[in-house]
Amino acid sequence: MTSRLGLPDLGIGVGLRVPHYRHILDTRPAVDFFEVISENFMVPGGKPRYHLSAVCETYRVVQHGVSLGIGNPTAPADDYLVELRKLVDETKTPWVSDHLCWTGVPGTNLHDLLPLPYTQAVVERVSERAKRVQDRLGVRLLLENTSSYMSHASSTMPEWEFVSAIAEAADIGLLFDVNNVYVSAYNHGFDPSEFVRSVPHERIVQIHLAGHDNLGRYIIDTHGGHVIDPVWELYRETIERTGPVSTLIEWDDRIPEFPVLAAEAERARRVRDEAVAARAALGGRAPARPRMGVPVRGAAVPQHRAWTQGGPREHEGGSP
Amino acid sequence: MSGVDELQGELAELLTRRRAVDTDPTVREQCARIATGNDRLSPAQQIEIYREQFWLRHTSCLLEDFEGLGAVLGQSNWERLIEDYLSAHPPTSFSLRDLGDRMPEFVERSSWLPHHDLCVDMARVEWAYIEVFDAPDAAPLDPAELAAIPESAWERARLRLSPALRLVRVGHPVAAFRRSVRLNEADRSLPEPEPQNLVIYRGQGRDLHHQVLGDAAFALLQALSEGLALVPAAERAMARAPHQADQIEHELSAWFADWAARAWIVGVEI
Repeated sequence: MTSRLGLPDLGIGVGLRVPHYRHILDTRPAVDFFEVISENFMVPGGKPRYHLSAVCETYRVVQHGVSLGIGNPTAPADDYLVELRKLVDETKTPWVSDHLCWTGVPGTNLHDLLPLPYTQAVVERVSERAKRVQDRLGVRLLLENTSSYMSHASSTMPEWEFVSAIAEAADIGLLFDVNNVYVSAYNHGFDPSEFVRSVPHERIVQIHLAGHDNLGRYIIDTHGGHVIDPVWELYRETIERTGPVSTLIEWDDRIPEFPVLAAEAERARRVRDEAVAARAALGGRAPARPRMGVPVRGAAVPQHRAWTQGGPREHEGGSP
Repeated sequence: MSGVDELQGELAELLTRRRAVDTDPTVREQCARIATGNDRLSPAQQIEIYREQFWLRHTSCLLEDFEGLGAVLGQSNWERLIEDYLSAHPPTSFSLRDLGDRMPEFVERSSWLPHHDLCVDMARVEWAYIEVFDAPDAAPLDPAELAAIPESAWERARLRLSPALRLVRVGHPVAAFRRSVRLNEADRSLPEPEPQNLVIYRGQGRDLHHQVLGDAAFALLQALSEGLALVPAAERAMARAPHQADQIEHELSAWFADWAARAWIVGVEI
């Protein structure tokens, strides 16, 4: 089995989301691992902490964040890192992930995963900070490529070069979001296979898969539906190059019943197994396959939806 | 400040604008310096996707947290209030949980609001619910610990209240109104003025509840929450609710037992 920066392959997991808590705690379904949104549990007590603790009793949990803001004008705040570290100690997560993006400026947190300009100066800023954050957390940091809807006029390199340069310079892992590659390829008109082939495969420690909303002129990464076929194919292409990597299904909007999510995870398992077998048949080399090409514009869904990170917040339940 | 910092500052201003960025020619030019656009979207339209989401995300979050306030105000007044609020207090915390932390004081200052006093009450109560929801846990009072306290020590005993409890005195029965909103009940007539002492707390099943208390009991709890020992707290309560002084004397034990059972009291310090 390929060791990815010394980190284990956890199999196929799903995101832990509020509408499924009851089902999970009552039936303890077979799931390789759950990914939790760190910030949802960085609170002193109450239901969020209770649910996290109950899930950790049975399952392997990995932490994924949305608020690190690694590319912000200022470095991640000390108090945020202290709280994050406490949670790491509690969940025993083997790694911590967040996004390769910026989230705000001093005095304003935009609560969004905003694309950075792809420049050498930003590579240096982010990689320096990523190293320090990784040291502070005591576990490997993974940064995730984000979906984006705008491209910076000041960028001087393609996104895959930017992502690769930071991962190498900071000696961190990658959370490779295959759906995000597809969404950005559609929105910016590049070949997603180029992205898949160009990143350092040995640094890919986890993969995300999700659905999205195609609005015709652009795609929004809503995590609101099934993974589409071209993304499954891109996932297959990724696994053929990486070997088995912990893979997670994200579903944050129009969240279905848990069995639907579990079935999506089983589909990921089948695709992953097939890709691993194809790679093994060639002695560990990726099979030759044509590039996907720039995604063709698809049929639009009628509604422009707001999107969230990590699904609905846990809110007061029980008595209204 | 580096070029990236300036760019991010400029974008943050654009994304928090109340109006679309693709309608104003000057702003469109500014966007064209930042974003490339493509054959489907202009630079301003690309940035507008993020600006729109800033407002959708934060307004929906505030509506979730202040559903009762929204119901009192109705659509247009609510929209005006939250646009004003987000402009005056842009989000600063990493957590959306904290987004409404200045709403009670903001509503108090927003004297243009219809049913202003009712809105102030509702905002205070709804923020209390948010605070109580994820406040620190505390173990319930240990009967053995209680039994070990000598009779003579009770006079100076300080009762420790649960961190997941808030005392809110309001001028309207807003908790009941909020409940009817959340249950989507047909009758949502706005409540008439009627002073109430509310205890908002997290029960042992971690669900949230409210309890209406009489003046004397509420005054006693307030005094205890201020850190007074039992006897001075009772004296303070008698002073605050002199019409119910006898009740304090006679019902103190029963109240104490009830509050311990509800885990409002979680410790005794001698």
